[in-house]
Amino acid sequence: MEEFGQLTLGGISVGMIYAAIALSLVLIWRATRILNYAQGGMAMFTTYVALLVIKHTGSYWAGFAVALAAGLVLGAVIERLVIRPVESKPPLNAIIVTIGLLVFLEGLAGIIYGGQFRSFPAAFSIDGLHIGSAALGISANDVFVALAVLAAALLLAAGFRYTSAGLQMRAAAFSPPVARLLGVRVGRMLTLGWALAGLIGALAGVLVSPSTFLYPNSMDSIFVLGFTAAVIGGLDSPVGAVAGGLILGVALSYVGGYLGSGLVNLFGLAALTLVLMVRPSGLFSPAATRQV
Amino acid sequence: MSEPAALAVEEVVAGYGGVLALQSVSLTVRPATITAVLGANGAGKTTLLRAISGVIRPRRGRVLVGGQNVTGRSAEDMARSGVAHVPEGQGVIAELTVQENLRLGAFWRPGRVTRARALAEAYQRFPVLAGARNRAAGTLSGGERQMLVIARALMARPRVLLLDEPSLGLAPKIVSQVMELTAGLRETGLTVLLVEQNARSALSIADQGIVLNLGKVVVAADAVTLAADVGLRKHYLGF
Repeated sequence: MEEFGQLTLGGISVGMIYAAIALSLVLIWRATRILNYAQGGMAMFTTYVALLVIKHTGSYWAGFAVALAAGLVLGAVIERLVIRPVESKPPLNAIIVTIGLLVFLEGLAGIIYGGQFRSFPAAFSIDGLHIGSAALGISANDVFVALAVLAAALLLAAGFRYTSAGLQMRAAAFSPPVARLLGVRVGRMLTLGWALAGLIGALAGVLVSPSTFLYPNSMDSIFVLGFTAAVIGGLDSPVGAVAGGLILGVALSYVGGYLGSGLVNLFGLAALTLVLMVRPSGLFSPAATRQV
Repeated sequence: MSEPAALAVEEVVAGYGGVLALQSVSLTVRPATITAVLGANGAGKTTLLRAISGVIRPRRGRVLVGGQNVTGRSAEDMARSGVAHVPEGQGVIAELTVQENLRLGAFWRPGRVTRARALAEAYQRFPVLAGARNRAAGTLSGGERQMLVIARALMARPRVLLLDEPSLGLAPKIVSQVMELTAGLRETGLTVLLVEQNARSALSIADQGIVLNLGKVVVAADAVTLAADVGLRKHYLGF
């Protein structure tokens, strides 16, 4: 029973990282109907920036803040320079462009920072927490990871729901021609969507790197699992993305704990395949699927 | 004629790719009047509205609103300069609530109080929307949707309203309600350009009308004259 509780809590913490990646993919999907294969690469890159800042300033939080800001800028710049020209083209163009971007970012990181594994500091202690003598299976840092993503998701949800910019972004996502006729600067909203996705992705990169090390390909498997979480959630739904991340995180934690840690990625990919085959619109999308 | 026309279209040429849907169309609309734009499918009616509201850019010619040259402005800018375009068919954003749809009509207007007042006025004018404010717009009936898109357009307090086929797909009783509503807007000083297949309904409330055929103005006259012209009705208007 104690092991079950530990695996569940650990799964929630890891699942929130998948949720963050899923959330960033959903933001871009909703805004531009593009699946951003470079999301993990962007997060990897901003995490290198964070590491650099932490080394120079000695402050984790300075690196943390700079990474988020860098993600915001990187997302906006990529949308403007690389994505804008393919937005009105067939979907395959955008897919190839984002894959090309991934290869470019990973290559660039290799040239600038080298290919070796670097350790990345955690914000808080990674010693296991206990209640009395019972180990919880998670650390203070795991709690921070889960709370940070939760806070980001709630802020995002509130922003979408209660601010004018959020309303404009949703209008631009649901119906660009109508939004334009009402005075919404649709292009700016798309840029904002990419920028926010860059920020959430950067958050995921900083949060996950203490447990994965940092190297040019370090986000690849996280990206695949984040993508799986987004597909479970239906790609269109921010709430679904977070739920998908949690479901996947907890399920894979049980797989790793009871069946062996070598099977985690295999089960992750199996889950992706299964959802795409059985319920391609995700578990959380309304029954009437929208034509995309 | 010293007062500037609310809307003037001067020799506008517009189209899509190699197809010229409008070939030198001119039109002058006095303030606080309704002008019916009539003609068969493919005559260029919708293209005319799009060229005015900036959805497509005229290749030649000028568009003036209140005497000011606004040719070539983007749709976003036109919405903010007093021209509201209610497109044909699915003009509501189905996924958003009724209130969110309405708020989108005025989000760019300065002043929280101004926007709140516009919303209150919309609910006062359309009580059916007030009752449905938190429902997704996609759940409304066809008639309610048409009310919503018109209410949303009015949130911007436009000077010129471009209405594209407001009667499309509506029951006859609802059509006459929409026409009555449109006629009422004229009394508030609004200038309306009303594109309709349903020529009889449109002419019943319009002050003047133009008939388009293959991208050209065939006739421009006052509404009573158009409605009385048997040959015209038979050839172009179908009633």
